[in-house]
Amino acid sequence: MDMEVFDSDFKVPGKEKKKSYEVDAESLSQAQVERLMSVDVDHIRGIFGVDAPVASLLLRYMNWNKERLIEKYMDDPTAINVDAGISAADEEPKVSRAASTTGPTRTTRSGKLSKVKSPSPKRDEPFVCPICFDDTQTETLALSCTHTFCASCWNAYVTGKIREEGEHWIRCMAEGCSLVAPDPFIQQALGDDTATWSRFQELLVRHFVSCNKNLKFCPYPNCTYTVSCPAAATKSSLSTIVPTVTCGAGPDHKFCFGCSVESDHRPVVCAVASMWLKKCHDDSETANWIKSNTKECTKCQSTIEKNGGCNHMTCKKCKHEFCWVCMGPWTEHGTAWYSCNRYDEKASQDARDSQSKSRASLERYLHYYNRWANHEQSAKLSMDLYKKTEQKMEEMQITSELTWIEVQFMKKAVDEVFKCRMTLKWTYAMAYYLERGNPKELFEDNQRDLEKAVEDLSELLEQAIEPAEIATLRQKVTDKTVYVQKRNEIMLEDTANGFLEGRWTWNATVEGFE
Amino acid sequence: MSGICRTRLAEERKQWRKDHPFGFYAKPTKAADGSMNLMEWEVGIPGKTGTAWEAGVYKLMMIFPEDYPSKPPKCKFTPPLFHPNVYPSGTVCLSILDEEKGWKPAITIKQIVLGIQDLLDDPNVNDPAQSDAYTMFKNDKAAYERRVRVQARENIPK
Repeated sequence: MDMEVFDSDFKVPGKEKKKSYEVDAESLSQAQVERLMSVDVDHIRGIFGVDAPVASLLLRYMNWNKERLIEKYMDDPTAINVDAGISAADEEPKVSRAASTTGPTRTTRSGKLSKVKSPSPKRDEPFVCPICFDDTQTETLALSCTHTFCASCWNAYVTGKIREEGEHWIRCMAEGCSLVAPDPFIQQALGDDTATWSRFQELLVRHFVSCNKNLKFCPYPNCTYTVSCPAAATKSSLSTIVPTVTCGAGPDHKFCFGCSVESDHRPVVCAVASMWLKKCHDDSETANWIKSNTKECTKCQSTIEKNGGCNHMTCKKCKHEFCWVCMGPWTEHGTAWYSCNRYDEKASQDARDSQSKSRASLERYLHYYNRWANHEQSAKLSMDLYKKTEQKMEEMQITSELTWIEVQFMKKAVDEVFKCRMTLKWTYAMAYYLERGNPKELFEDNQRDLEKAVEDLSELLEQAIEPAEIATLRQKVTDKTVYVQKRNEIMLEDTANGFLEGRWTWNATVEGFE
Repeated sequence: MSGICRTRLAEERKQWRKDHPFGFYAKPTKAADGSMNLMEWEVGIPGKTGTAWEAGVYKLMMIFPEDYPSKPPKCKFTPPLFHPNVYPSGTVCLSILDEEKGWKPAITIKQIVLGIQDLLDDPNVNDPAQSDAYTMFKNDKAAYERRVRVQARENIPK
């Protein structure tokens, strides 16, 4: 359902201007990328005076690095033609010369691209394909190396390479022959199999995109769009911006241009996001378990799990004897092995203090982790909220005068809550690594304001509906939604500006920050 | 190429019987009912004379997939061979037997067995497949050689 129509209800002033947390990015269709490719191909064709398929092979061989290609070609055109599979290494000069200028699909005998009857050794004997040994095949194909095979073997081979191996660099079928099939040959071998031919073209586009730092393929399944985002092309740029982009297929196809950690991890930069996720992956469960099942030896800080026995503990490592209940030294306990009434003694308190210090860092991590996980969980639950909201919207249409359009505010509010929970989630990852100080305090103020606003709005949405109060509810929800939206903008914008200004400092080493 | 697997294998068999390199053998196995199983061949690869592998004839099973010759056959020494490029299972690791590397539909059985024979005395240290032979080959050439000679003696055909 398209909600954009109702945006005017919720418009925040200045929406047209680019926000500092947004990046300039352009979505390109496959055809548009193909045009970019053909510009490069034409350029090379013009300089070297070769056919387009040859230019394309040369570029593909050099990973579309035009400058390097030109350099190498000027240096030794024969060598690069051999390396790029355009001509064979030890061919008669006639053929290799011809290959570099006229294109490899043409046989030395016939200038046409059409299928040629292979020259069989004896005129009367039918051609026997050395792969299938079928002597009834009449159509044959060969690259400029003249290794001839029947058309159906070529077809099966090329199809397999493209369909099963996702390969665009397809060599001649003969053993040891390194010639590569140029595009027209591929098309010819595929015949009327247009599906495989278009898959081949997609593979070419993907290869081109993967060679170009400014381009990224949309990672959503079956999507063929490419996004161009020169602003995020370098590694260093990723320490100042969070390049969340969407492709032309629609707003659902949102992804991060800089990493594959998560589709939208704003406001935190890629390096911090991935550090955090890695830490959570390694630590969270273990940390939770340690926290609830173990204590540390008050002397050497080794972590100890008590899995049986009495309260008289002897540290395996430092042999320190202590009481599991009060953590005080055992010497003060006498023979009361199973109970402890010394909890408030000075020695016990001191022991617990030293233990709590070593627990602090774990506690700190769990503080951030639990909030992070909570927002993620709540965001997931908002799918349920969606369903509930839909019911409510129907209810409202029945019990009040409101029309379909007028009850959309509920849906809009749920969307906003989801979005903000994602922002909040990542602000906790960021806060965990932020160095203490004024900037962090301001950051956490913004975080708190947003969190409060989001929780308020969530609560409003969960409320039961009284028919008499629908009008007030609508007013309240609409107001709150706008407010939440604004808080979210502020959070995102301020954090993004902070990155641009280099305001944030970290309590750990973050890639890209000195 | 679909369905050409058996035609091609029958032709390979014909070509092999007409002419094959000296000391080698290659024949389709027999199925349970006594009929010929073209999809699985028993092959013998002799070690080259003048190398530590000489005198031995090493038995190898060649298992052809349904989409042969689009896909290469699986080549497996039985019993597994002591060699840096042979997996503990006996499977040979060789670029021409890898469909994503050097395999081409035009490669014949003759070329495969000659390729494996070459590999025997010329292992590829960049692609180790078992640690025993690889580490010994890297660290103690003399011991490696002795071990290979023992293996050759064990594989002298009766």
